[in-house]
Amino acid sequence: MDINEFLKAARGRRSLLQGLGVAAVGLTFTSTLAGCSGAAPEKLANGEEGLLNLYNWDDYMGETTLADFKGASGVEVKMDLFENNDTLFAKFRAGNPGYDLIVPSNDFVERMVQADMLMPIDKAQIPNMKNIAPEFIDVDYDKGREYSVPYTWLVLGIGYRKSKVPVAPDSWKVLFDSDQYKGRIAVLSEAGDMFRLYAKYMGKSVNAITPADIKTIEAMMTKQKPNIAKFHSDDGQDMLAKGEVDLVLEYNGDIAQLMSEDDDIAFAVPKEGSQLNSDNFCIPKGAKHPKNAHAFINYILDADVGKKVTDTILYPTPNMAAKALMPASYRDNPAIYPPADVLAKCEYAKFNADLQPLFEEAFTRIAAS
Amino acid sequence: MAEQDWKTSKRTFATVSTGPLFWTLVFFLVPMAFVWFYSFGRNVGLTEIEIVGTLDNYKRATEWLYLSIFLKSLAVAGLVTLICLIIGFPVAMAITFASEKWRPWLLLGIMLPFWTNLLIRTYALMIVLGQQGYVNQGLGAIWGGASWFKTLVGLQPLDTWEPLPLLYNNFAVVLGLVYVHLPFMVLPLYSALDRLDKSLIEASLDLGAGHFRTLMKIVVPLAAPGILAGVMITLIPALGAYLTPDLMGGTDSQMIANVIERQFKRANDWPFGAALSFLLIYAMFALIALQSLRRKTPVDAR
Amino acid sequence: MPLFTRTPHAPLEYSKTLWMRSWVTAVMLFLYMPLVVLMAFSFNDSKRNVVWRGFTTKYYAKAWENDQLWGAMMNSLTIAAFATIFSLIIGTLAAVMLWRFRFPLKGAVDGTISLPIIVPEICLGVAFLVFFSKVGWPTGFVWPFNLSAIIIAHITFCFPFVAMVVRARLATFNREQEEAAKDLGAGEWQAFRDVLIPHIKPALISGSLLAFTLSLDDFVITFFTSTPGTDTFPVLVYSLVKRGITPDINAASTILILLTVVLTAVALKLQGVKSIAGSH
Repeated sequence: MDINEFLKAARGRRSLLQGLGVAAVGLTFTSTLAGCSGAAPEKLANGEEGLLNLYNWDDYMGETTLADFKGASGVEVKMDLFENNDTLFAKFRAGNPGYDLIVPSNDFVERMVQADMLMPIDKAQIPNMKNIAPEFIDVDYDKGREYSVPYTWLVLGIGYRKSKVPVAPDSWKVLFDSDQYKGRIAVLSEAGDMFRLYAKYMGKSVNAITPADIKTIEAMMTKQKPNIAKFHSDDGQDMLAKGEVDLVLEYNGDIAQLMSEDDDIAFAVPKEGSQLNSDNFCIPKGAKHPKNAHAFINYILDADVGKKVTDTILYPTPNMAAKALMPASYRDNPAIYPPADVLAKCEYAKFNADLQPLFEEAFTRIAAS
Repeated sequence: MAEQDWKTSKRTFATVSTGPLFWTLVFFLVPMAFVWFYSFGRNVGLTEIEIVGTLDNYKRATEWLYLSIFLKSLAVAGLVTLICLIIGFPVAMAITFASEKWRPWLLLGIMLPFWTNLLIRTYALMIVLGQQGYVNQGLGAIWGGASWFKTLVGLQPLDTWEPLPLLYNNFAVVLGLVYVHLPFMVLPLYSALDRLDKSLIEASLDLGAGHFRTLMKIVVPLAAPGILAGVMITLIPALGAYLTPDLMGGTDSQMIANVIERQFKRANDWPFGAALSFLLIYAMFALIALQSLRRKTPVDAR
Repeated sequence: MPLFTRTPHAPLEYSKTLWMRSWVTAVMLFLYMPLVVLMAFSFNDSKRNVVWRGFTTKYYAKAWENDQLWGAMMNSLTIAAFATIFSLIIGTLAAVMLWRFRFPLKGAVDGTISLPIIVPEICLGVAFLVFFSKVGWPTGFVWPFNLSAIIIAHITFCFPFVAMVVRARLATFNREQEEAAKDLGAGEWQAFRDVLIPHIKPALISGSLLAFTLSLDDFVITFFTSTPGTDTFPVLVYSLVKRGITPDINAASTILILLTVVLTAVALKLQGVKSIAGSH
């Protein structure tokens, strides 16, 4: 290489690194400016700084709720999102990464209580608890509501496309035990839920499964597998909307949202009964702003605020006062509020530390078969 | 090229090696050590892990159920790598031999799709492949056209078009993985081909060898380190892929990474997940060690 | 053959051959079609990305106002920038160390440096989660230092890729050039800077592009090392999976793509388009 190439090459390398460096510095600079523009939260009357770190499911909050809360109380809410309970649990397993308020489902409330991850709720700070319907106050998974406050409840069922499914399904058979709709079915990939629903199909309670039952169910699932298009992770309503499948096992809230956009969709809870779920507000141990967290829970339970939230997310709500303010199209929607006789056959799942690993292993076997 | 013994220029060696060694030790080996200890542990309660020095997790991880999943993942990853190599090699050659003006744009063109978020790209691919996606619509239109043509000529029309199942099966997983890993193959190939002495190719062509023969006998052996780098960079992440099989796969498409993820998340069985991961790592470690031995004899241009 | 007589070209000008051009075009089509669909659907007037319902730009407005989306994107870009720079440095050093020197336990070091590539991401993610929590890594820093844990994790899994690419290139380096430079009186560092680096420049570029992509796209490891307010774009998008991808995410992704094109164009301008891909 001669001297000129030396110089050119040297300059070239330097300026590339320069270019990258400038870009990085420029980015950092502008973003720091953007970041700095937010003022530091001030101390409130309750002694905590005006901040709340909330960890919630996606699309699970009213459009203006957080801004309204800030206006009403001066607390800024930063909301991060997670997509399923296992993710939430895995993150908290090694310690609280800095959140003040979380929204686990009922069986995970049980799990987290057992693992000593939650702070007890101080009901004195939540007078709006009176808005919650009585049947949600004393539940199996948290007697007396020591650690959780209900936010929504849901039931699993069959969402289907009316034009492709001539006879409305009324039993789990069509999803679990028949090849009538081969390749046009999607079910959950959550091992625990699947085993429990099969138990319902077999006529048992979701909390009375024995290891022998697990073997039976595993055989049934393996037999049904060729008819199933996919084990979806909660995007079943998407598959149904796109026409990839005609029947899905999904939560009623998800299907209700789809029904508001697509008239060809319907929802049914099978006659054998189903599983109930409920998402709850909990305060994890190590939360830095527990008082703000309590204030937020109280705010959400208010009737008007609750109505605004439900307007957006369309899930069944345990808040009677909010429900009363909703339009009849919501209150009388059988997809959102299944009739009482059907609900009587639905149960909450109990977290069972012994059975859970067996479910998982069996499910891995089914998926590999 | 002869390697230097480190003692001959200790200062240079120190400058060059302190950074990587320190980083690897503190920010890689130490965290991995934690997980390694976990693989010998046992779940106590829901969040604690007791290190008891048990081999139970490893015994369970070598059961046929998990080994078969591992072998299947290896087969899929191998297929994906092969396809990427076949598709990517001509592309790398095209970039190398392109005019100076075009080259950076072609490079950019290959890299650009891969700066989009993987999840979004996968969803976009799923829209294209879906039952009512564009591929099926396009094929359906062609089918319809052929059917109409048949009626024109007086023959029976074809049966109604059934959309092809392009999603939720192993085909989709392979396609998705190829889609994701293609640039990881092209870049190292380009890097190696670029250094190639073009006069050798010209000489070979002048001497009468056809293009293909020149390719096989001259280009490939000389670009071998790049090909090997490309293969490693593609095969290994493909083996550990879990988003693509999860989203685009059907009930049959479970790969080893999906199983490991299940242990760490849903099953809450970290010791077992750790054992599975480490078995995978030991196997790959052996592969890389093998490759490192081969590298000791670099290919000469003779 | 008529095809070839139409465009006469030198034997090495492979890029002018028809089959090569059609191959590359087909590959580009395959790579870009989903992206085009994505960008097209960002203008779709429907909450779901299923059917085309009408043209609208309201989702761009929605994405623009979405602070969460912007915060996540800023985080992603910052982390990627820092991770790329540091991985480039550490990776190149590692490659040179392994290529040039013979030292005890070299095979083991070689394998260990390549390990981050083969460790399943979820395993690495959990490892970092446990590490940072046991070490008590402080989480209350102001931006951008609260991203430090994520940046460290990213550098750790990016630099082996850079090292691998640079090593492949180094394998074709003729050491006599370096020795000649030294004979002419260049010092160790000068020889490194002026002889070695220009040779490996294409690898440096490929390596940094690779590292940038890997960091920008990473989901699993970032998820496990993130703390409140440090969500990156992939982590945010993944948690939106429940609703399916809505057009405002498409709008945000389109903006991200355009941003990266602009950044690269800037880098190319500073560098001079020719020298990025120049061969010697």
